Amino acid sequence: MRAITFNVFRFDPASGAPSRLVPYTVNVNEGARVLHVLHAIHDELDPTLSYRYCCGSGQCGSCAVRVNGEPALACMEEAQDGMTILPLNLPVKKDLVVDLLPKLEQIASLQPKEALVMPTKADIDAIKPLRDCIECLSCVSVCPAMDVTKFIGPTAMRQEQRLALDPRNASDRIPVAIEEGLFFCTTCQACLKVCPKKIETPGKAIEKLRSLANQRGFTLPRHQEVATLVRETGRSVPRSEPTFLEQVGDVVEPIGTPKATVGFFVGCMYNMRLPKTALDAIEVLKRNGIRVIIPKEQVCCGSPLIRTGQLSFVDTLKKRNIDTFRFRKIDTVMTMCAGCGSTLKNDYKTPFAVMDISEVLTKYGIEPPARLPVTATYHDPCHLMRGQGIKDQPRELIRQVVDLVEMPSICCGSGGGVRSGNPDEAAALGARRGAEIKKTNADVVISSCPFCEFHIAGHTEKPVKNITTVLLEGYKEKDRKAGVEPERSVKGK
Amino acid sequence: MHAADAQDCHVLVIGSGGAGVRAAIEAAAYGETILVTKTIAGKGGCTPMAEGGYNAVLREADSCGIHFEDTMKGGAWLNDPALVQALVTEAPKRIDDLIHWGAVFDFTDTDEVAQRPFGGQRFPRTCYAGDRTGHEMMTTLMEQLDSAEVTKLQEVTVIDLLKDGDHVNGALVLDERGHLVTLTADSTILATGGGTRVYDISTNSSSGTGDGYAIGFRAGAELIDMEMVQFHPTGAVYPYDARGRLVTEAVRGEGGILKNNLGERFMTQYDPERMELSTRDVVARAIATEIAQGRGTPHGGVWLDVTHLPRAQIESRLPVMLEQFLKFGVDIREQPMEVAPTAHHIMGGLRITTECRTTLPSLFACGEVSGGVHGANRLGGNALAETQVFGKRAGEFAGNAKKRTKKVDAAQVNDHQQLLRRYLAGSESPAQVRKSLQLAMWQGVNIFRKDSELRHARTIIEQLSQASLRAQTAQNLAECCIVRNMCDTASLICRSALLRLESRGAHMRVDVQQKWDAQHSPFSHTYISRKREGIESAGGSI
Repeated sequence: MRAITFNVFRFDPASGAPSRLVPYTVNVNEGARVLHVLHAIHDELDPTLSYRYCCGSGQCGSCAVRVNGEPALACMEEAQDGMTILPLNLPVKKDLVVDLLPKLEQIASLQPKEALVMPTKADIDAIKPLRDCIECLSCVSVCPAMDVTKFIGPTAMRQEQRLALDPRNASDRIPVAIEEGLFFCTTCQACLKVCPKKIETPGKAIEKLRSLANQRGFTLPRHQEVATLVRETGRSVPRSEPTFLEQVGDVVEPIGTPKATVGFFVGCMYNMRLPKTALDAIEVLKRNGIRVIIPKEQVCCGSPLIRTGQLSFVDTLKKRNIDTFRFRKIDTVMTMCAGCGSTLKNDYKTPFAVMDISEVLTKYGIEPPARLPVTATYHDPCHLMRGQGIKDQPRELIRQVVDLVEMPSICCGSGGGVRSGNPDEAAALGARRGAEIKKTNADVVISSCPFCEFHIAGHTEKPVKNITTVLLEGYKEKDRKAGVEPERSVKGK
Repeated sequence: MHAADAQDCHVLVIGSGGAGVRAAIEAAAYGETILVTKTIAGKGGCTPMAEGGYNAVLREADSCGIHFEDTMKGGAWLNDPALVQALVTEAPKRIDDLIHWGAVFDFTDTDEVAQRPFGGQRFPRTCYAGDRTGHEMMTTLMEQLDSAEVTKLQEVTVIDLLKDGDHVNGALVLDERGHLVTLTADSTILATGGGTRVYDISTNSSSGTGDGYAIGFRAGAELIDMEMVQFHPTGAVYPYDARGRLVTEAVRGEGGILKNNLGERFMTQYDPERMELSTRDVVARAIATEIAQGRGTPHGGVWLDVTHLPRAQIESRLPVMLEQFLKFGVDIREQPMEVAPTAHHIMGGLRITTECRTTLPSLFACGEVSGGVHGANRLGGNALAETQVFGKRAGEFAGNAKKRTKKVDAAQVNDHQQLLRRYLAGSESPAQVRKSLQLAMWQGVNIFRKDSELRHARTIIEQLSQASLRAQTAQNLAECCIVRNMCDTASLICRSALLRLESRGAHMRVDVQQKWDAQHSPFSHTYISRKREGIESAGGSI
C-alpha cells in the first residue's frame, strides 16, 4: 500500500456554494488507477463525493475526468501522488459527474432499409475503425469549434461517416452532416489526442465526409477557388511579390563544416506570403551548419485540398513532390510549415525522412544566440503539436534566446479551411487566442506555422514571429555586441 | 409524494443491458414503454463489457440440435430444455435483427458472419466483433432504442417492486437526488443482469449487484439454482485494485494456452481432450487447483500465453485485451498474461417460462436475472444470445398483456419512506458492509464448497443484513438500497448452495461423496422464495 494525495474538484449546484479543490490522502495498492483512489476517498473519507463509473475496464466510457488538465478514463489512468482531478469540461451536475445526455442524444442512429442489404467484408473493414467509440465524450469536452459554432462535435461526426459508409442505412447523411457543421472543424486533432480508443475522427471521418460532400458538389465556394488555384498554378496562394524560391539558389552552403544536408520543402505560405520568414530560417540554418538543397519544382503539398475533402488532384501533387526530392537523392526533407510537415508525415508515403525545422535544429544543436530582453509566449500549432507530436523542440530553441511564459495550447482557428471558409468562426477562435495571449503579458508571440502566425497577428496587438526569426534576432544581437558586420546575402551559389 | 413523482406506462423495463434494451425495443410496439436504469443507458450492465461473442447456428454443417446438446451437456443437464430450445432456435433470428440494425460483426473473406471456437462446443459457432462483441451489440441496440418510442429514465435506482395483492404493478424508484418516485405499469420486466459483485473478485460492472434477484425475491417471486455461480477461469490479477477484470475466453479461442509456474501446460491433467477449450467450470477448477498447490505465478495466477500467435492476429482479434494489458504494462504479443478465476455469471435466477413469465403475475424476467437457460454452467457465447432471444420474448409477451387499472399500495410506499428515513439516521458505512460481504462470499462460497464454510458465510451474511446502513445524504440512499440487495443476493446464493448436496457444473461440494454423474443425478433445480426452499427431484417432483 502507498499513500496518494489527490486534489479533487467538489461542486454541488444545489448548495449554491462555489466549487473548490479539496485535498484527500488515501492508501491504495501498487498499480492503482485514478478510479481506485476515488473509490478509496468515497469509501473511507467522504461518501458524498460523486463520480461516475461502471465497467472499470475502459469499455463503457462512464468515468472520463480531467487528470492534471487532460481528459482520461479514471479506470485506466494510473494514479500518481499529487494529481488534480477535475470533471470534463462539460456542464457539471455534481463534483466529477457531468451531463452527458444532451450530447449523447445528438449521435445519429442507423435507419435500416426495409429489406436487409448485407454488407461486404470491405464495408465492415471500412466501418470498424469508427466503431470503437465508447461515447465518453472526452472529444466533445475539448473541441474548440463547438465553443464558437453550432458544430455538433467530433463523435457525432464520426457516427455520420460510419452511417455514410454502411449500405444498410437508409438515410442520406451528407446534407445532414453539412447541416451539423461539417465545415466548422479546424482539424486541430484535439479530439484524436484525448480519445482513449485513438479514433482518427479528423482524418477518418471529417475529411472523408468532406470528400463525399465534394463528390456531391457541396464544397464551400472559397475552398473550390483554392482548389482551382492549385490546379492551375501548383500553389494554394496567388503570387503577389517575389517568392522565396525566386530569391534563393538551389543549394545554400552553411558557414563552416556542414553537419547535415536536408532538402527544404518550403510550402505555399512561406514561399509566397511570408518569404521573409523563410529567408530568416535559411540564415539560421546556414549559421548552424545545415546544408540546404532547395528544389524549385516543388509544389503545394495538398494539405488545403485534403483538409477540405478535394482529393482528385492530390495524387498528382504528391507524385510531383516526392519525385522532386527523390530525383536529388535527398534522404531527409525539412519542413518549416506545420501543415506541410503534418501532411508529408501523415498523408504521404515518402521514400525519405521528413523533419520539422525545430527537429533539425535541436538534433544537430545550435550556436547559442544572445539573449534578447523580451518575454515571449509560444503558440503550439495544432499540426505541429498534435499532427507531428512536436512540443518540446520549439521550446528548447526559444528558451535559448528569450524568457518563455506558457499559455494553454488551444487552436487559433486558422486550420482545416476554416479561415477561408468560415471567417466568423476563425475570428471567434482567434479572439480567444488573443485573450489568452493578453493574459501572459508577454512582449512577443512566437509560433512555427505560417497559418497560425498570419491569423494570430490579426487578433493580438503583440508582434507575432516565427521561431527562426527570433533566433536570427538573437544572432544579430550577438554579432552587434561582438562588433561583427551583419552578412547580407542569403543567396546560394 | 407529489403527483409529479408518479408515472404510468404499459410496460416498465428495469435494466439497460442487452436484455433490457432488446425488451424495450420490442415492447414499444405495444404501448407506452419506460426503461429505467441506474446507469446511463447503454453504459451499464455487463453487455458492453462482454468481449468474446454470440453463439448462433449459421452454417449448414452446424445444427440447432448440436447447439442444444452442447448447451445441455455444458450445463450438466440442469438446464430447462424448453428454454434451451428457444435459445438455440431463435439465436440466429436475433443476430439477423442486429445485423439488420447495423451491427458490425467481423466477416469472413467470403462476406459471411465470421465464427470462432469457444469452450464446450463442437462447432465454431461464436460470432464476434473482435473482442468487443457486447459493446458492438449495445451500440447497435442503443441506436434502435433511440429510434423507438421509449422513455428513458437514467441514473435512477429501482428499490422495490410495487405490489397489489399478487400482481406486480410497477416499481418504486429513487431519482438522482434521492427522491422516491412510483412507476406503475401493466407489465414489468426485470432485466437487471447479474450479481457477482457480491464477490470480492468479479468481472462484473458496478451494476452487477444482484438487484433483480433481491427485489424479485422480496416481491415474492421464486428463484432457481442460485448456487450456480460461474467463476470465469481467466480474470486479471494485476493491478490488485483492478483484480477480476475479464480476460476473454476468445484468448483461448484464438489459440491461447495455459501454463503453470513450471511451464507445464497443465490442462493435460484435467481435460486432455478439450484442453484450454474445456468448459469454464473445469478450467476454473484446474487453475484454482494449480494455484492452491503452489504452482502459481508471482501475482497469484497462472500464465495465459498468446505469444506464439501471429502479432496481426492478436491485434485484429484481441484489440481490447492488447490495449488493456498494455495500459497495465504487459505487451501480450511478447509476454504472457497472469490470470486466475473470477466470479463472472449467475446461472440461477428468477424462474421463468418460455414466455419469460415469472411466478408472479405481470412480472417478467429476461437475461442473467432469470434462471434455467444455462443450467449448472454457461457456455461462453450463450449469454449474449440469451439477452437477445429472451429480451425480445419478454418485450413481446409483456407488451401483449392487457391494460389494467393499477392501485398503488399506500402502506408499501409508507414502509419504504420509513426505510429511507432509517438509512438517513443509520450508523454503519455501506461501503464497509459491502466489503465485508464480498470477502465472506469469496472465502465461504467460492469454487470449492463445503457445508461448514457455507454455514459460516451464511451467519456473516445474516449479521451484515442487520447492519444499520447510513446514508450521509439523500443521494447516498441508493447506495444503501444496493448494499441491501447485495446482502439478499448473497444470502440466496449461500442458502441454495447448502440445499444442493451434490457436485454439478459450477457447484462443487468437496464434502459430498456422490455415486452419480450429472446426467444421472437424482436432483433437479434448487428453488427458493419467501414461502419455501428446497431441491427438486430429477423427475420434476419436489
